[in-house]
Amino acid sequence: MKLTVITPSGVLYNEEVDYIVVSSKNNGDYAVLNNHAPIISTIDVGYIKMIKDTKQLFTVIINGVLEQQDNFINVIAQEAHVGLNKDSAMEHLNDVRKERLDENRQRTMDFLKAEKELKKSIKEAQASKR
Amino acid sequence: MGSMREIKQRINATDKTSQITKAMHMVSASKLKKAERAITNFRPLTKRLTASLARVMDSDIDISHPMFESREVEKTVYILITSDRGLAGPYNASVFKAFQAYVDKHHQSKDEFTVAALGYKAFSFAKRKKYHLLNEDVIQVRDDIQFLDFQQVSDDFIKGYLKGTYDNVVVFYNKFVNTLTQKVKYQTLLPLDKSPFITEKQEEESLKYKRMYHYEPSASSVLNQLLPMVIVNVLYGMILEAKASEHAARMTAMKSATDNAKDLIRDLKLHYNRARQDAITIELTDIIGGANAVN
Repeated sequence: MKLTVITPSGVLYNEEVDYIVVSSKNNGDYAVLNNHAPIISTIDVGYIKMIKDTKQLFTVIINGVLEQQDNFINVIAQEAHVGLNKDSAMEHLNDVRKERLDENRQRTMDFLKAEKELKKSIKEAQASKR
Repeated sequence: MGSMREIKQRINATDKTSQITKAMHMVSASKLKKAERAITNFRPLTKRLTASLARVMDSDIDISHPMFESREVEKTVYILITSDRGLAGPYNASVFKAFQAYVDKHHQSKDEFTVAALGYKAFSFAKRKKYHLLNEDVIQVRDDIQFLDFQQVSDDFIKGYLKGTYDNVVVFYNKFVNTLTQKVKYQTLLPLDKSPFITEKQEEESLKYKRMYHYEPSASSVLNQLLPMVIVNVLYGMILEAKASEHAARMTAMKSATDNAKDLIRDLKLHYNRARQDAITIELTDIIGGANAVN
């Protein structure tokens, strides 16, 4: 069956798989094999284990929907990351998220500081009076 | 017109400004391309999510959900999407103007609504007007904005809506028409409009058979998670569109600024040459007058 993972920045993963195991905080674990009945499920924080022959990959997902019908699995995720094992992939995703939030905070502070400085130098230059 | 030196100084200053605006124009042009690419990349997700929800709605379950039902409006959340920085022509001002007009028409007091400000400009506007704000900190609308950046706001208004604190969520943003035109639009985000998820074709098909889905763990909990995702996605789509509009607006504004600077420089050069000619004439008459006096 075919698995497609889509994120806001485009298609992340589009491959043939033998079967998948879905694990999420809200729903627990379950596997989807070939010719499974149509299923829809959501993932708040969790991962999908994708198995093909002897190889396996993990896709860590935050806020996603999984839909399977006619052996097509459609995963829509707000944030996702593919890794060789679930812990490192999860860690990576968490690191990225944390970094992002810190960066945002830093940017806001820098921005406010720069704005303040600009206002001050405009005042000092008395540009409005010329 | 002032002296030759003054004119020369002004020409130099204008030239430097035009160099800056020209650079900004080019930066915006490339950023606009990036923003358009982001919209294209985002499209498959929207399409599939809409299709998924449409299939859920089409199946046999009871799809009534508070997010679909409109109720009497007591408190509204307005989401304003603007940029962080200015110099984008009428981009931010037009959002504020449309919003102000809307508020004046529909509300008597500031207590009837809350503002969620996306972008530094919207934040300082709401602060200045002393509106109730949903977010305490500035939410920067970065060029590479992610869900995470505005998650705090989206979580807040979705939870508030489900709890009954807010009855209505409306977004004000600039819709990208083309590079030269951006239109301010307002759109109701909550309650969610059912119509995009129901097509006539599906109604015909559904007469024949109903698709049976397994819901894991249950239909209601799937909907409970799916619908907020759809809403956040719609909002994200609007932000991407606003982002493209911002760059387009800035591009146009900077283009006309560069053109104006060029016009100004041409005028100034004319004045400068005239002043120079005058000075030469005076000098000449002086010399001739002096020579005549000697003879």
